[in-house]
Amino acid sequence: MSEIKLTKSAPTEDNGEEKDWAAAKAFFDNLKTNKPRPPKPRYAVTIAVSSRTLFNMVKERKIYQDEGLEKYVAYQMEHENEPLMPGAAFPFVQALMNVNSRLRELYPDSEELFDIVLMTNNHAQVGVRLINSINHYDLSIERFCMTGGESPIGYLKAYMTNLYLSKDSDKVTEAIAEGIAAATMFTADTENELSKTQLRVAFDGDAVLFSDESEIIVKQHGLDTFFEHEKEFENKPLAQGPLKCFLEALGKLQRKFIAKNERLNCPIRTFLVTARSAASSGARVLKTLRSWGLEIDEALFLAGAPKGPLLEKIKPHIFFDDQMFHIEGAQELGTISAHVPYGIGQKYHKGKLIEQPPKKE
Amino acid sequence: MVSTIQNTDVKQGFGPENMRLKKGIIGKDSSLCLLAEDADPVSSLQKDADRAVVVAVTSRAVFDCGAEDGDDVYGVGVAFPLLQALQRVNERLLEENPAESLLFDVVLITTDSQQQQQSSRIISNTRHYGLEISRFCFSSEEDFIESLLTNHVDLFLSTDRSEAAQASHKGVFSALLNRKVASSEQLRVLFCGDAVIRPDTDSPSASQDAAQSFSAQLGEMRQRFGLLHSPLSIVLVTSRGGRESCGTALRTLRSRGVSVDEAYCLAGAPRSPFLSLLRPHFLLNNDLED
Repeated sequence: MSEIKLTKSAPTEDNGEEKDWAAAKAFFDNLKTNKPRPPKPRYAVTIAVSSRTLFNMVKERKIYQDEGLEKYVAYQMEHENEPLMPGAAFPFVQALMNVNSRLRELYPDSEELFDIVLMTNNHAQVGVRLINSINHYDLSIERFCMTGGESPIGYLKAYMTNLYLSKDSDKVTEAIAEGIAAATMFTADTENELSKTQLRVAFDGDAVLFSDESEIIVKQHGLDTFFEHEKEFENKPLAQGPLKCFLEALGKLQRKFIAKNERLNCPIRTFLVTARSAASSGARVLKTLRSWGLEIDEALFLAGAPKGPLLEKIKPHIFFDDQMFHIEGAQELGTISAHVPYGIGQKYHKGKLIEQPPKKE
Repeated sequence: MVSTIQNTDVKQGFGPENMRLKKGIIGKDSSLCLLAEDADPVSSLQKDADRAVVVAVTSRAVFDCGAEDGDDVYGVGVAFPLLQALQRVNERLLEENPAESLLFDVVLITTDSQQQQQSSRIISNTRHYGLEISRFCFSSEEDFIESLLTNHVDLFLSTDRSEAAQASHKGVFSALLNRKVASSEQLRVLFCGDAVIRPDTDSPSASQDAAQSFSAQLGEMRQRFGLLHSPLSIVLVTSRGGRESCGTALRTLRSRGVSVDEAYCLAGAPRSPFLSLLRPHFLLNNDLED
């Protein structure tokens, strides 16, 4: 599977939809608190986060694993009024909110904004604590699903989700298979200080923005073959990877700032952090991006050097990579990372083929 | 209109498994309500009148009375899985406690004269399909609401919007049946949160009291089961307000003894993809709009 598309369907809105939207708009416009109302899903860049990525629920998770569901829910209800601590996706969410404020200043009537949705398997009674915690930090999260155990995939589609972040790699894999950009989040070992004024997103290239076709060549035929191949096919665009559409969505919002002469002050910055080298295999990547009409602000070619130190300098709010080796390297030096479980990289660890135990059903 | 249905007629319509119908209640306008007594252990239990949750469903929703199988067997209608799900809840309640009295009491009601004429066919079909019906009410458009009131119905379910609205106006708590295929394994009840926090001022307070009373009964039933593998799931959807509205609805329902299992806050996002996924059997407190 090399072509992953996610496009929001063309406007064929029905009457019921319009009514719900108009009523919601009226509801928010009438609130005394001046709370920004959530954008129309069709036009928004929708980011779904799970409860465990938004908040630190390590302690609670342990109760669930050791003592079972009933005790876990009871615990959460007892502590309902204690706000949870921030989780791995928290800085990312705050950065999204900042971009929204800037967009609203420049385009007060536009629905092209980030829409943040809480997507959790939790039981609705646990949800009360989640709502209270969101209130505590005054996060702009007005939409959520608390599925009480059901798979979130259908609901992700119902919200027209552009990116899904979770701690559960099975759900992430399922989402990617359904054409939704998704990644499994990891906290950093230490905490780098991140920008409060600019959303910074770093992407690996192969098997993240692009398909894993070239990575297959490396793994199966070695680096030399890979270099030759990339040179030969330099002008042939690579196929899309699972996160290409998310980069595209970011680019769409960036252009809105550029259109208002805010390029230098743009609150979104994107980075490509790839093991490819600028001298040889890098050209194909840049040409592919150009053929897609996408821009990336900074392309960093490491020629195989570790990514951790460079990411420590970039300080992204999130870094997407398909290989756990790079995720771990990033984590160690304070970068919040998100693993994209896609492609041939999943079968290897540090260059060696992983022996997969037979999957239990 | 004089009812043409007599007990003897009804008996003659039967096959070998004779269902005896005793104790007819003849309504003011000669609608006829019959209690069914048969060998089935569940419905032969004397359902405690105070504790049973009486749910009336229109026959037109349960059977597809147009489609006939030649030998007088109807096709199944949209409410068929609902009845199976209600039965399953009863079975599981009795598994937890064989002396349980808080059970669903299902009434099958006809709401027009055409259906009223088909009474014996309707009864034989419920038998054919193994449906557990406590009472049959053969009413017409003029007197079905009266039957609902006389039978102390806690919830009236119909696929017909105007029927549900009429009943609601007369103080009978009513809801529209979901036309989309629903589960027969788990009863899924959907509360519309926007109405929970801001009740519809059009419907009379008798209907609102009935709504709250039904919710409380449902909430109590839900408590008989654990968090997982419950035959009953309570779902909350808020369409318009944001997280505060949904949070308030969750707490309000909790204060009424209803512990919600699943909650969805749409804040203006289109409703139909969610309803397709959620597959509720019926929606409560909805402004009877789709």
